[in-house]
Amino acid sequence: MGPAGACLAPRTRTKPGDQWFAVTEMFERAVNIFWVLLGAAAASYAWTLGIIGSSGPDSGLFPFVSALMIMGSGLVLLLQPRDAALAPDFPRGAALGRVLGVSGGLAFMAISIPFLGFAVAGFVTMIILLHAVEKSGWVFSVSLAFISVAAVDWLFGRVLGMALPSGPWGW
Amino acid sequence: MRNPRIAFVFLAISLSALLATPAAAQGDGAKADLAKLKPKDFPTGPIEFTVVYPAGGGMDVTARLLAKHVENWSGDRIVVNNRTGGAGMVGHAYLATQAKPDGYTVGVIANLMWGDAMLRAQNRWAYTDLEPIGYLNSDALTWVGPTEGPYKGMSVRQIVALAKDKPGTIRAATVPGSMWDYILDQVEANTGAKFLRVPFQGGGAGINALAGENVDIAQGFYSEFRGLAEAGKVTPIGVASSERMSFLKDTPTMNEALGGNEYLWNVIRFVVVPKGTPADRKAYLKAAIEAAMKDPELVAEYVKAGVYFDPKLTNAARMEANLNEYAEREREFYQKTGRLK
Amino acid sequence: MEALVGLLTGFGVIMTPANLYLCFLGSLIGTLVGVLPGVGPLAALALLLPVTFTLSPVGGMVMLASIFYGAMYGGSTTSILLNIPGEAASVVTCIDGHQMAKQGRAGAALGIAAIGSFVAGTLGVIVMTFCAPAIAAVAIRFGPPENFALMVLGVVCTLFMITRSPVKGALMIALGFLTATVGIDVVNGRERFTFGSVDLSAGIELLAVVIGLFGVTEILSNVEATVKSTVVAERIRGLWPTLADWRASWRPMLRGSGLGFFLGLVPGGGPVTASFMSYAVEKRISARPERFGKGAIEGVAGPESANNAAVAGSLIPVLSLGIPGNPVTALLLGALVIQGIQPGPLFITQRPDLFWGIVASMYVGNVFLLLLNLPLVGLWAQLLRIPYRVLFPIVLLLSVVGTYSANKNVFDLWVMLGFGIAGYVLHKLNYDLAPFIIAFVLAPLLEQSLRQSLAMSPHGAMIFIERPATLLMLLCSAGLIALMLRPLPNTKGGRL
Repeated sequence: MGPAGACLAPRTRTKPGDQWFAVTEMFERAVNIFWVLLGAAAASYAWTLGIIGSSGPDSGLFPFVSALMIMGSGLVLLLQPRDAALAPDFPRGAALGRVLGVSGGLAFMAISIPFLGFAVAGFVTMIILLHAVEKSGWVFSVSLAFISVAAVDWLFGRVLGMALPSGPWGW
Repeated sequence: MRNPRIAFVFLAISLSALLATPAAAQGDGAKADLAKLKPKDFPTGPIEFTVVYPAGGGMDVTARLLAKHVENWSGDRIVVNNRTGGAGMVGHAYLATQAKPDGYTVGVIANLMWGDAMLRAQNRWAYTDLEPIGYLNSDALTWVGPTEGPYKGMSVRQIVALAKDKPGTIRAATVPGSMWDYILDQVEANTGAKFLRVPFQGGGAGINALAGENVDIAQGFYSEFRGLAEAGKVTPIGVASSERMSFLKDTPTMNEALGGNEYLWNVIRFVVVPKGTPADRKAYLKAAIEAAMKDPELVAEYVKAGVYFDPKLTNAARMEANLNEYAEREREFYQKTGRLK
Repeated sequence: MEALVGLLTGFGVIMTPANLYLCFLGSLIGTLVGVLPGVGPLAALALLLPVTFTLSPVGGMVMLASIFYGAMYGGSTTSILLNIPGEAASVVTCIDGHQMAKQGRAGAALGIAAIGSFVAGTLGVIVMTFCAPAIAAVAIRFGPPENFALMVLGVVCTLFMITRSPVKGALMIALGFLTATVGIDVVNGRERFTFGSVDLSAGIELLAVVIGLFGVTEILSNVEATVKSTVVAERIRGLWPTLADWRASWRPMLRGSGLGFFLGLVPGGGPVTASFMSYAVEKRISARPERFGKGAIEGVAGPESANNAAVAGSLIPVLSLGIPGNPVTALLLGALVIQGIQPGPLFITQRPDLFWGIVASMYVGNVFLLLLNLPLVGLWAQLLRIPYRVLFPIVLLLSVVGTYSANKNVFDLWVMLGFGIAGYVLHKLNYDLAPFIIAFVLAPLLEQSLRQSLAMSPHGAMIFIERPATLLMLLCSAGLIALMLRPLPNTKGGRL
């Protein structure tokens, strides 16, 4: 079940009374509070932009209305009773490790591209990603990373003529 | 000679060959001169021509035509890159603050950059952070009127009079925060007219709206309205320049129509490098652009787009000084109208 | 008839080995560009524009145009197989297309997508052939009030995408609107929510959001689950649509074509809007709407046809009037100008060879694309056999490059990552993500046309009632909302 499709599988991991359940409940409440705060902050900023100008709506109107909607929805969600069957199913243990590993790999890529250039940053990132999910053999990881980065570089750099950022070594 | 005709043809051919050779030799000579100026180990990769407006637009087309000819003359590889956003602000800020001044980034921009630098840059950069290395062309802002509806066939004077009699009824397309607004401000201040301003993202969008009878007058540049004008959907009625355009002989200037001398608004397209670019690379790029601008093919392509060449800027020696003078004049305008303290 | 004569001229122009080759090459590149996440037709066209300098005007334009509509064919591939959209116009295809893939019916989904694209593309060109000038004359009168009404209709259609809590759905829509305001207000040039950052003043890049919200989120979700060996557990059952599939799909294809064509005509419409409006229409019209979101083939046939028809529609103002409706067609116009050709209403009479050559090439191009994409269905389906732990790093690498290609700005990679993580968390908390992206796409034009309309109206908001087309569309929106609140025969209680 991906984000673009409806979620169908029944929740089996968390149950009321579970300690983890309480943690997720707190997290959900925190998110709802976040919506309210975000809406309030955005609305006040939009107010300073001006709501009605000389010739009709000003810059602030649209964001102001949207922010109010966010705040209102957040409030409704805070006040709604919680449906245990729809409790979020946050990952723990190894699963959490995998998710953090992939996120970390992407963050590394974003941080290092300006310094190392696409080729090297991509190579290292691929290896991180291949190891984050399942410990593939080193030889396999290195060769796959190398081939992928080289292929992408060829496809975009040569065939399509797009300049990918280069590192301190010039490529 | 048995057949005088053959002799004539022979003579004609050899004469034209004789005349062509200096031209060709001049071509080779110019290329050789340019090659002499090329610094050692520059360029080792493609040079980026940064365009701050979207691909396909007037500025983009100008830059791509220039890039094509500079490539021809210099033999270097040029890649045109569009860095768009914020009506040019993002690209201007990139060129002034983020681009490396190593000669590999060249900006093909317009005088609209001065407005961004003076009014919106918030002291992060100034227009002097971008050094001009070549002048391309200028385009005069033109008022365009409808060919259908109650205002068809009217002159600028008539429309302005109507806008004064019935303020707030004549819908004028404008691009907020730039010369489109400024000229309307001037007209309104001088004549007491009042237009109903409809904002658009560019001159072209306003002209399309005019053709669809969604506004009553629009403003833009020749390349933007030429297609519709030739088909009779819109018609130019006033040019904000000091004299009439050679390709719009029947269209009076705004100064002629309304009197005075202050309706002078045009787009000046020129090439810059970020401040701090090494002098030898800057000189080489300058020469390459000059060589391309002397190419009659490029000049012809520009002329077809309805531009004119400002004599104050075509002289390479005086170009930078005169450009800065124009910039300062714009700063005075902002101060006078209270946009700048 | 004049049009037929012109069309024959066009075929004469294009049936040369060089032009046919360029049409094929463009179709191939377009398909590839559509498949690659992030890289869209705009980036590809901008990159390949210099190549057209060395080609003849006909050849160059044919190649560029075929890349444009080719990308709409390829976009559905990764949507269906990996739940990762190839570009924004394929987001909607993920919803039911991927569910079909998980049920082992990837082949049918891919096949219907390709055929729907072909039907829509061809129908679009046929209408173009005979009605282009007449349609253009009407399209040019579409002004800010009509745009506004259309965007309102779009927002109403977004409500059909909400499958879970309506409150959360409304929140996502509002959040989409708010996020779209980050940047420079086009109506008066002021900076909003930029906090002094140059990167933010450009606004938040749509591609980065789409790839993050649907690509990265999907990968994070899959990676978290017990490590599956492949994306799809079930064996692929048959590569071709069944008769039942055909019966279910042909009407959505036709509806999608009509809707998409109309939306392509108007500026601010385009393939993205067309795809999800078609989805909403199909869901609304269906006798059993509860199947949507679980692998209803109508949810693939309609949107895929719509986005292809929108391409044909968007080319009409360009070729008949010289007016671009979106950045891609603006680029096509620029390409014409660089070649020394003046686009405009006289284009068809001044250069009939070029006009009809491009139109004829679209017939040929659609055939090429069908021939290219159908056999590839089998090949793509094999992609599902690759172990996920190998597949996802490659997809991520391509996503990074694709996102970067939009603005050559590393900031967009952070946007991608940020939205990926946020999307992952929100998905866990049972939020629908599709309404966010649609609101994000519609908001700029919604706001701009509202303010333009009010600026140009001497009587304030009355302008929305004075103009017939606007009034009609607004009434449709109101009608749709009313229908949504009324209970349907097959479902218990109301829709919301």
